[in-house]
Order: sequence, then structure tokens, then C-alpha cells
Amino acid sequence: MTPAHFAFSSAFMLGLAGLAFHRTHFISALLCLEGLMLSLFIALSLWTELFNLTHNSASMPMILLAFSACEAGTGLALLVATTRTHSTNRLKNLNLLQC
Amino acid sequence: MSYMMYVLLFGLVLGLVAVASNPSPYFAALGLVVVSGVGCGVLVSSGGCFLSLILFLIYLGGMLVVFAYSAAMAAEPYPEGWGSWPALRLMVGYVLGVGVAWVFLGEGWYEEDWGGFDGLVGVSVLRGDMVGVSVMYSSGGWLLVVGGWVLLLTLFVVLELTRGLARGALRAV
Repeated sequence: MTPAHFAFSSAFMLGLAGLAFHRTHFISALLCLEGLMLSLFIALSLWTELFNLTHNSASMPMILLAFSACEAGTGLALLVATTRTHSTNRLKNLNLLQC
Repeated sequence: MSYMMYVLLFGLVLGLVAVASNPSPYFAALGLVVVSGVGCGVLVSSGGCFLSLILFLIYLGGMLVVFAYSAAMAAEPYPEGWGSWPALRLMVGYVLGVGVAWVFLGEGWYEEDWGGFDGLVGVSVLRGDMVGVSVMYSSGGWLLVVGGWVLLLTLFVVLELTRGLARGALRAV
């Protein structure tokens, strides 16, 4: 595995681990999600550059960025809605369905 | 030059370790800013200068700014940084995990792993990534329309989520 691919693969795994093992705040999970998207963007750009893929696949990182902006916006809207309803974004407060 | 690429890749992984150890969101947003800056350096070192500028403008200048001021919702009197024990033990654990993976996967890292995407052999005006993005306007026209439609749809989704009023699923009042 070349160094660049190892770097963004481990960056993806780290972001996934940070998202899975979230601790207190909702927004830190959203930030790890953004880190995931960033590592995917770098991965797609580097694959296009280093493997001399066709020009058609060089629009993949742009499309990924557009959709990741949509996802970030939706996540932040959920954060705002959670804060307005539960008065905080701590994850321990999302316990309405707790038995 | 390849040494700088190594430094940038180290910065990428270590910055994401700092984000994934889940400190207070102020510090995590700072770590993400550093990671995206270093990622731009990685892209420039590989020849994708246009995509690096796109990353800076759209990602850093658009999305991360919104995250930075949304982190005000996580305001607490004593935000815990990377020196607090839970974040520190997670950071050490992640660095050890990356090191173990490096031992198993990092063989044969030579000088000729780097390259660039030029249109022709030699110097070219048309960089590969710029031509690829302009393909979105010619052959990928439908993809552009779908992307614009999705962005418009997301706008309405966000407006409905934050408005909600009496029929939104996330309001209790």
C-alpha cells in the first residue's frame, strides 16, 4: 500500500472510530463525519491524479463535495433542532425512548 | 519534495487523530481546519491544484465556518482539550492503532510512488483535474442538474427541520 493511500485509509478509519465512539457532544460526532467526507475527497482526488484515470472520473470529488455539503447542512439542522428541543446537544439528553 | 509529502501525510493522520479523540467541539473544529489545510497541501503536491483550491474555498471557507459557529451550541465553562485524560487516552490508542497498521501494511515505500496527472506528456496547460471538473458541464450535464436539484432539496429540508413548529418531528413544544 502506497503511503498516500495508507494515509487517507487510516484517516477514514480514524474518523469512523471517532464517529462510533462519540462521547458527550452531538456536534463532535458531526465533525468526525466531516472528517470522513474530507478523507474521501482527498482519496478520490488522489486516485484521479496518481492513477491517471480518465477525465470523466475527475468530477467525482466535486460531486462528493456537493453532496457532503448537503449532508453537513442537514446534520447541522438536526443539531439546531435538537438544541432547541432538548436545550443542549449532549447525547445523554436524547433519552426520551429510554425504558 | 517527497519528504514534504510525507510530512503532509503525517499531518493528515495526526490531525484526524486529534479530531477523532472527541475533545470539546472548539478544538475538534480547529483540528479539522488543520486537517483540511494539510489535505490541500497533499493535493497540491500531487498536482491537483484546482481541486485543492476548491477544497479551501468550499470546504474550509464554507462548511467549516458554519461548523465553527455552530460549535457555540456546545459552549461549556471548562471545555476539555487534548490534555484531559479521556481524550488523551483515545489519542494514544489511535496513534498506536495507526502504528500497528503501518507495521503490517507499510512495505516498499519508495521514491517513485508520487506522480501527477498531466494532459499530455510534459508541460500542459490543461491540468487533469480542471478538465475533469469542466466535464461536468459538457458530458455530465445531467449530473450537474441532479446535483443542483439535491442542493435545492437540502435547502428545503433544512428549513423544515429548523422550523418544525407544531408538526415537526423534533419539537416537543
